[in-house]
Amino acid sequence: MQDVLHQLALGFVHLGTPTNALALGVGLVVGMLVAVLPGLTLVMGVVLALPFTYGMGVTESIVLLTAMYLSGTYGGAFTSILFRIPGEPLDVPLLWDGYPMARQGEPAKALGWTLLAALVGGLITATSAVALAVPFARFALRFDAPEYFAIVLFGLSGVVALSGGSLAKGVISLCVGLLLATVGVDDTYGADRFTFQIPILKDGIEYLTVMVGAYGLGEVLTRMEQGFVTPAMESDRKVETRLPKWREIRSLKPTMLRSALIGVICGIVPGAGATVGSFVAYGVEAQYGKRRDKLGTGIPEGIVAPQLASTATVGGHMVPLLALGIPGSGATAVILGAFLLHGVQPGPQIFQTSGDMVYTIFASMFAAVIGMCLLGYFAIKPLIWVLRLPEAATSAFVALFCFVGAYSARNSLTDLWMIVIFGVVGYLFERFRFPIAPMVLGCILGPVAENSFMTSMIAYQNDWTVFFTRPISGVVMALTALALAWPLVRHLRGLIRARRIPADLMPLGREVKP
Amino acid sequence: MKARLAELVPYAALLAGAAYLYHDAASFAGLGRPGQLGPDFWPKAVLILLMIVCGIEIVRRALAPAAAAVPAPEAGPQPQAEEAQRHGHLLAGGIVLTILYVPGIAYLGFFLATALFLAAFMYVGRYRRARIVAAASVLGSLAFVFVFMKVVYVSLPLGAGPFRNLSAWIMAALGIH
Repeated sequence: MQDVLHQLALGFVHLGTPTNALALGVGLVVGMLVAVLPGLTLVMGVVLALPFTYGMGVTESIVLLTAMYLSGTYGGAFTSILFRIPGEPLDVPLLWDGYPMARQGEPAKALGWTLLAALVGGLITATSAVALAVPFARFALRFDAPEYFAIVLFGLSGVVALSGGSLAKGVISLCVGLLLATVGVDDTYGADRFTFQIPILKDGIEYLTVMVGAYGLGEVLTRMEQGFVTPAMESDRKVETRLPKWREIRSLKPTMLRSALIGVICGIVPGAGATVGSFVAYGVEAQYGKRRDKLGTGIPEGIVAPQLASTATVGGHMVPLLALGIPGSGATAVILGAFLLHGVQPGPQIFQTSGDMVYTIFASMFAAVIGMCLLGYFAIKPLIWVLRLPEAATSAFVALFCFVGAYSARNSLTDLWMIVIFGVVGYLFERFRFPIAPMVLGCILGPVAENSFMTSMIAYQNDWTVFFTRPISGVVMALTALALAWPLVRHLRGLIRARRIPADLMPLGREVKP
Repeated sequence: MKARLAELVPYAALLAGAAYLYHDAASFAGLGRPGQLGPDFWPKAVLILLMIVCGIEIVRRALAPAAAAVPAPEAGPQPQAEEAQRHGHLLAGGIVLTILYVPGIAYLGFFLATALFLAAFMYVGRYRRARIVAAASVLGSLAFVFVFMKVVYVSLPLGAGPFRNLSAWIMAALGIH
C-alpha cells in the first residue's frame, strides 16, 4: 500500500512537467468541447485527438486522451440541463430530472448537483483504479495463452452482449472486425490472407483507419443525410453553477454510494460503459431510492445518480485496460490504440516495465477530476458558445480531421481511401443500426485472440478442452457464456411476458405474436 | 414486402460476402504444418459464425408476421432517438466530396484541395453564408497546414505541376521549411 502511495506521489511529480500538464489541460478543454457539441461523440473526439499524439511521448498521449475521456463524461450535462440537448447518450437520463429542475427556475442548482456528482464519481473512480489495478495485474501474471484467450474472448463477448443493439448485430459487427484483423500476412505461418494480390493489403488494415473512418466520417455522413438538424441554442439562458449545501449532500449519501458502486462495476465489466452505467444507476434509483416516486420531477437524486455513475465508469475501464490490455469500451479501445501506436503493450508487466507512466496516468486522473470541475464551474460559459457554430461547418472540419488523422499515421494516400471506405461502412452500420464498437474492438483484439488461441493449440496439441479445464480460463469461459446468454434470457423473458399480457395492452411497436 | 426485403439486404449481402471469403480461405489452407491448425482455421471459424448468425437473422426476419415489428433481443437501455428525416441527395453529395478529396489532395496539394473540400462540404450541407464559408475554408486550411506541417511534422501532399509551386509558396509564407 505504501509503495502504491509512493508511486502515486511520484506520478504527481511527473504530471507536473510542462508537457504532461499541458496535455492534461488541453485534454480537459477538448473533452468538454466534444461533450458539449451534439454532433461529436466522446469516442469520436478521442479518435480525432489521436493523430495529435503521434509526435508526443506515450505518457503525454495517454494523459491527454484520459483527460478527454473523463471530462467528456461531464461536459454534456450542461447542454442536457440547460438546453435539453444531450451531448452524449450517457447524458439522456439527465434530461429527466436535470432539465425539469432548470425549468423550475433552478438551473444553477441543477448544475451544482452535476458538478458534485462528477467530482465524487471522479475521485472514487480514480481511487478505485489505483486500488484495483495492481491486484489485477498480479493476478494476471499467472496467465498463460489459454487464460489470455479466455480473457480476450470475455472482453469481446461482453461488448457484444452490452453493445446497445441486438445480440445478432453485435456478433456480426464483431465478426467483421475480427475478419478485418486477419487481412495481411499471418503471424504464425507467414501466409497471405485475403490480400487478393493487392500489395497494400499485405501490411494489413490499420485499425486506426477502421476506427477513424467508421466512428468519425461515418457519423458525419449520417448527420449529413439527416440534414444537420440540431436544435438551436437559446442564447438568453443564464449559465452559472451553485453548489448544494452540506446538509443536502448528506441526505444523498445512499444514492451516491449506490451509483458509485454501479459505475465502477460497469467500468470493469467489458462493454458496459458510461451510458449503461448512467441508465442503470437511474433505474436503480427509480427502484430503491428513498424518493423514487418523485423521480422525473426534477429532484437531485435523478441528477446525481446518472452523472456520478457515468463518471465512475472511467477508472473501472482503465483497470482491465492497463492490467490486462483489454479495453472495455470504445474510448478505451482508442486509448489502447494510442499505447500500441507508441509501441507499448498494456498488460500485467506494464507495472514493472513502465511503472512511472502508469502512476502518472493515475495521478492525471485525480488532477483531471479536479480540473474538469474547476473548468465546469468557471469556464463553461465560453465553452458552450461552440453550440452556436453551424453544424455543417463543424462537420466539415470533423471530416477533415478524419482524413488528416489517418494520413498522418503512415503518410499514405491509401489510408485516405481506407477512410472513405470505412466511413461508408460506418454510415451503413449506423443506417442499419449495427453497433460500431464491437467491430473496432474485434479489429484491435483480433490478433491477440488469434495468437493466444493458436499458441494454446500448438502448446496443448490441439486440445481445445484446455480452455475449460484450467481453473482460471474455465471460470472466465463460464463468465463469457453467461455474458452471451444474458441477452437471450432477457429476450425469452420478454417473449413470455408478452404472451401473458393481452395484445390490446401491449405498447405500440413491441407486439409479439405467439 | 419492399420493407421486408430492404431489411434482409444487409444480412444477405454479408452472408454472400462471408461465403465468398470462406471459399477464398481455401487458397491459404495448405500453408499450415501437418498435425496443426493452419492459417485458415481462425478466419474460417469467424466466417462460419458470421454465416450462421446472418442465416438465422434472414430466416427470423423472413418468417416474422408482416404487421409485427421484428423484436430484437435488446441489451441494455437505449437512448431515446427520434427517427430523423433522410436526405439521400445530401448523403450522396457528402460521399462524392469525400471520394473526390482523395485524388484532389494528390493533384491539387493539401491546401487547395482542403479549402475546396471545406467550402463544398459546407455548401452541400446547406450552409450558405458565402463570406463565412470562404473565410472558414481558407483560414481553416491554413491552420491545418501550419499545425500539421510546422508543429506535428507531418509531410502533407504538395500536389503536382503548378499546384506544387502554390503549396511551396504557402509553406514559405507560413515559415515552414
